[in-house]
Amino acid sequence: MSNKAFLLGDRAVYIAFIVIVLGLPLLISDVFWLNRVARYLVFGMLGIAMALSWGYAGILNLGQGLFFGIGAYMVAMSLKLQSWTSLQQGSDTPVPDFMLWNAQPGAPTDLCCIVPGSWLWIPFQAQWFGIFMAIALPVIVALIIGVTIFRLRVSGVYVAIITLALVLLTRLIFIDAQPITNGFNGLTDLGWLTIGGVEFDPLMIETYYIVAVSVCIVLLLTRWLVSTRAGLILQSTRDDANRARYLGYDVASYQIFFFTVSAAIAGFAGLLFVIVSEFATPTYFDIAFSISMVVWAAVGGRSSLIGAAIGAILINTIEATVSESEMFQQAWRLIIGVLFVLIVLYMPRGLAGLARDILTRLVSLGRTKNPDAANASRNPAE
Amino acid sequence: MKAALTIDALEVNFGGFKAVDRMTTVIDDGELRVILGPNGAGKTTLMDLVSGKTASTGGKVHLYGREITNWPEHLIAREGVGRKFQIPSIFRDLTVLQNLEVAVSQEPRVFRNLRLGMAAADRKRIDEVIDLTGLEPVLETIAGDLSHGQMQWLELGMLITQQSRVILLDEPTAGMTQGETSKTADIILRLKGSHTIIVVEHDMAFVRKIAEKVTVMHMGKLLAEGPIKAIEADPAVREAYLGTGGLH
Repeated sequence: MSNKAFLLGDRAVYIAFIVIVLGLPLLISDVFWLNRVARYLVFGMLGIAMALSWGYAGILNLGQGLFFGIGAYMVAMSLKLQSWTSLQQGSDTPVPDFMLWNAQPGAPTDLCCIVPGSWLWIPFQAQWFGIFMAIALPVIVALIIGVTIFRLRVSGVYVAIITLALVLLTRLIFIDAQPITNGFNGLTDLGWLTIGGVEFDPLMIETYYIVAVSVCIVLLLTRWLVSTRAGLILQSTRDDANRARYLGYDVASYQIFFFTVSAAIAGFAGLLFVIVSEFATPTYFDIAFSISMVVWAAVGGRSSLIGAAIGAILINTIEATVSESEMFQQAWRLIIGVLFVLIVLYMPRGLAGLARDILTRLVSLGRTKNPDAANASRNPAE
Repeated sequence: MKAALTIDALEVNFGGFKAVDRMTTVIDDGELRVILGPNGAGKTTLMDLVSGKTASTGGKVHLYGREITNWPEHLIAREGVGRKFQIPSIFRDLTVLQNLEVAVSQEPRVFRNLRLGMAAADRKRIDEVIDLTGLEPVLETIAGDLSHGQMQWLELGMLITQQSRVILLDEPTAGMTQGETSKTADIILRLKGSHTIIVVEHDMAFVRKIAEKVTVMHMGKLLAEGPIKAIEADPAVREAYLGTGGLH
């Protein structure tokens, strides 16, 4: 009975979220703020990816920034080649400005051989290739990592340590390969995404809608994914992998699949972030950024996709607001840290769990004399 | 009668210590076999070897004529071996109904499971199991909130839902009250005939209630095998249990 009420409540939250996200340009006329919101929506997408792997699969990925960063760099390479800064290097074909600064004297001004490894950039002259790789490369990398660790039955804290190490390793590689990645500075002065002759200026409403619609689609698709039988089986492997094995399931194949989906979402988020922010830097591979994603998901509720998305958007909005004041800016990390500890200790299901408890309380108030209601509505399927 | 499970000279060597040592027994289709033995006799290890949790270092296991020695756990499970653990192993964050839905595992592959809802036949089987185990009132309860007895019945129910041909039960009445033990015996007796069941158990009252044929293990080896009455009178068995006070 109260399960039905819960489902209705859950559906209402999804509808409200989508209506607000799509309707926001009607309320916010300031394009700079709209651009900011678009960035937070991208972080919301990372929250979804985190909830999928941590909440549903029980895989605590402390290196989600790896997939986000790869996605970002892939599309940034294409957009860099479309930038005016790449077209003024005295060559017929685009060459990124920083390569010229790193080139040996007398090196030919062409992507083929201006600096060692610059040929890797050649296919990125086609924008579709960068967009394709922004999803494909995270998927390939996730498959390799996933097959390796899950076939070996690595689990729990060891997955966290391995993913953490991998994102740091990638950060080193990207900084070290300065001639082709521009090192610490990253890829800046990017061109705009161009589809069918239309240029998507990050400050245009249309660009906001690319992000907003993408986030809604990803949210609904992921929601569908976890409600399938495969999603249920995935949750069972999280609770007791051995039991799932003795029921005949190859646990590793479920973990690999959902780990990869989560990586694809993160890569897609990286792609969108570059479109609205116009840069890609190695800070995407920072530990702090990957840990932030964990905090967003924990605050919003890791076992709720939409909870984690809202958690990410909320925290970033608050952070942007308080960072206007110098004093708060210093204290912000401390506040977030304390909040994280408190939530993990006292509210393990995050804001989503809190909302559900309140709804349950209301329903059982409306239907007194039903002591089972509170218990029966604790349905984990989001 | 057709043999369901043939254990042939099975052994495992843990760095010089043979927990199971050239153990041989044949369990017929539809049989209910009880495995007894003092602590450390190798009963649970034998279950581990049959279900694939531990790799054997010698001997063979055949399931309905097909060799399954040292296959990965999930393939042995798909071949028809279901296992219940000593400590209830269920999906604690899922509801009772969801636990049973996971157990309907006719289609184990990821991509084939990317669909909503379930087949009518599967739904029907779940209903039958709910009926058998009496879990109806707690279907929407989170499995981790169940009583100990209910958890045991849920795990048993999952094995039945799974349609295992051979069910391995490791101390199914551990920690149960007398009433719960009696209900468990009823469930097992109702499964007799349609499933082949192997039970490891200490509770002799329970064993006498369900057992036909008993296998006694001692120090990893087969010590005696036969009807419960004969086993209880066997001097070798009494000898093995000496110091633990014999069978009681």
